Amino acid sequence: MSLHVITANRLRDGVSVWFAGEHGWAEHVDAAATYDDTALPGALAAAQPADVAAHVVEVRAVEVTQEDGKLMPVAHREQIRARGPSVRADLPAGPWRDGADKLPPLPSASSTSPHAGIYHYDEYDRDFLRQRAREFGEQVERRRAGELSEDEFKPLRLMNGLYLQLHAYMLRIAIPYGVLSATQLRQLAYVARHYDRGYGHFTTRQNIQFNWLRLEDTPAALAALAEADLHGIQTSGNCIRNVTTDEYAGAAADEVIDPRLYAEILRQWSTDHPEFTYLPRKFKIAITGAPHDRAAVRVHDIGIEVHKNEAGEPVFRIFAGGGLGRTPYVAIKLRDDVPLAELLRYNEAVLRVYNALGRRDNMYKSRIKILIREMKPEAFIQMVEDEYAALPPDYCVLTPELVAAVAARFPVPEFTRQDSGVFAKALAEDADFAAWVERNTHGHRDPGYISAQISLKPIGGIPGDASADEMDAVADLADKYSLGEIRVSHVQNLVLPHVAKDDLPALYQGLVKVGLASANVGLISDIIACPGMDYCALATARSIPVAQRLAERFAGREREIGTLYVNISGCINACGHHHVGHIGLLGVDKNGEEVYQITLGGAADENAAIGSIIGPAVPTANVPDAIEAIVNAYVAQRTPGEKFIDTYRRLGAAPFKEAVNAAR
Amino acid sequence: MPLVNAKGEEIADAGVAGLRLTPDAKIEDIATQLPGAALIEIEFPKFRDGRGFTLARTLRERHGYKGDLRAVGHFIPDQFAALIACGFTSFLTPPEHTPAQFAAALREHRQPGQLLRRSLGRALEG
Repeated sequence: MSLHVITANRLRDGVSVWFAGEHGWAEHVDAAATYDDTALPGALAAAQPADVAAHVVEVRAVEVTQEDGKLMPVAHREQIRARGPSVRADLPAGPWRDGADKLPPLPSASSTSPHAGIYHYDEYDRDFLRQRAREFGEQVERRRAGELSEDEFKPLRLMNGLYLQLHAYMLRIAIPYGVLSATQLRQLAYVARHYDRGYGHFTTRQNIQFNWLRLEDTPAALAALAEADLHGIQTSGNCIRNVTTDEYAGAAADEVIDPRLYAEILRQWSTDHPEFTYLPRKFKIAITGAPHDRAAVRVHDIGIEVHKNEAGEPVFRIFAGGGLGRTPYVAIKLRDDVPLAELLRYNEAVLRVYNALGRRDNMYKSRIKILIREMKPEAFIQMVEDEYAALPPDYCVLTPELVAAVAARFPVPEFTRQDSGVFAKALAEDADFAAWVERNTHGHRDPGYISAQISLKPIGGIPGDASADEMDAVADLADKYSLGEIRVSHVQNLVLPHVAKDDLPALYQGLVKVGLASANVGLISDIIACPGMDYCALATARSIPVAQRLAERFAGREREIGTLYVNISGCINACGHHHVGHIGLLGVDKNGEEVYQITLGGAADENAAIGSIIGPAVPTANVPDAIEAIVNAYVAQRTPGEKFIDTYRRLGAAPFKEAVNAAR
Repeated sequence: MPLVNAKGEEIADAGVAGLRLTPDAKIEDIATQLPGAALIEIEFPKFRDGRGFTLARTLRERHGYKGDLRAVGHFIPDQFAALIACGFTSFLTPPEHTPAQFAAALREHRQPGQLLRRSLGRALEG
């Protein structure tokens, strides 16, 4: 006979609560009433809220064990819900903020970054966001008053990027194509500091997530963000999500065309699109303008490469049907040369075929990648072409006037600084600086400038997390050294895109001072990891501690090992992009134990590939040993200068498989 | 069930015989009937099934259908503006939501609408 408690999340703040019988809902599991198998159904019925204005949601029973009077849920996820994230002992589960606290004024009222290359909103645009924040506030009130049921309310909160997770609500804020002004980053820091527990998490889709939102604070947080042109619209739901791009867009020396203008046009086209807001499933678009793909366009629902035709005009190569998740695919190419005027029309044709024919009977088969494979790529392409050919000729044409109107809202930075030799001198004199430059910078299109990547992967840290103080520090450095502009990369780091070479040593010293100078970009410790079971309600394993142990294991050897992307997902949904890591790790639950499947050979760039699984999963504790065996096999067999991925492509999986088996 | 027009006003059903399409309908199959049709009804089995939006646009834009286009089944006031934008002209409102809720959903601040159209409008005005 097993023992159970009844748990739920509190509606107003999302806190995990435990049913204590006649005492109502308690904030700590030890206060919970326990029920055996026979008593449970009656207790569950008593605990279920009688009306829609209930104060709790997602009421359910979980199995527990009892030792020395302490109750311990059996499932790892429920243990984490009871205690708080295992990776943040300083942040126990439970209520953490009194909503009556008076907050200081918003930073946006007192600071500006006029030169940042973000799309400049006018008051008309800003009103759009204010209206949406107000509307959500009304919906929250209607829900709390019982006028909306949880079933009706859920899609409405999701449309604003608000999920219910293990410990609280999680608010996902879009960072369109990963571009932020310093002012916006300060506004995010403000939300992190006052509406969250002091930090945020940058994601692989160039967004930021706050982990500890209270429902009753969310309209105010959204209103604060609206003042800095930020929002959570379409960061969830079966709609077109945030359009992502290269973190070096508009700065990279190897770029053919700056894709941000087209990303912005796609953003405006997809925001509140009347036809494509109730798609079979979510839809992700990425665009790049460089031959080296840093935006992973081939693993998106639609991937776009903008290049130039012989006349020097922008033309668009369109891919579709890439994606990760439980059925990973590299995209197929639809067209090489869609002209600018036709960009939206062609995308409409693709979406229209998907909206009409994408599966709605099974959410695991509802992405466009499945439709394309089930229809066969040739038939899909033909159908898109037919749809495209049948569009009225004047429909959704991207006119030069419209392109010019959007382009006018992007200030083009003036690159006036010359390289006077300060940079070369510092490189010669300061080995730490030189090591950081080698890994964390990227060539700029102007010879006087360089782009600097700020690693959010300190050894032992949580990949992609940044504290409010760190965000403020980066905002200040951006104002001082990067025209007030910051980028979020899809590998969960930040980028200062336009740093004068003369300023780079000073920037580096500034980063050292605030602890943000980890020189590990592209190295084995620059790990992509999803939040995993420490935060996420879907996860089946804790990805963060695995990333921490791996980074610690290889600390000191990273430079010797060289470029190696390790990606970790805490469940099959693959938010940690494990399929396209050179080494991928997928955490799964095997009879209550967290184990990791290892894949090798994945890549997200122009040579995109899905990694192959090598043998049975390994227990969490053995992951560092297994990865070390793989790395040692690589180091032993590489030719001089050969990267891990190239050695893998030359030798295949066999030597690495053997190494892992020997280490088991 | 109340019938409303694209302003959210209750209207009387004229009793015209309509052609009813399920969301998986192939318009090619009924193309010959389109020229004489005065009313086409498109079914929404549940509000999250967005196929009806594409069907409506296809009828209007690809096939030039000019008659009354009616949404029937389960859809919500939050979708009202989008339904209108896709070419629907009448709405058999579902029991869960009153005509007044649909009318209220058209108040300007509740449905900002597609950003690009707003930008385009302003670019042309400017």
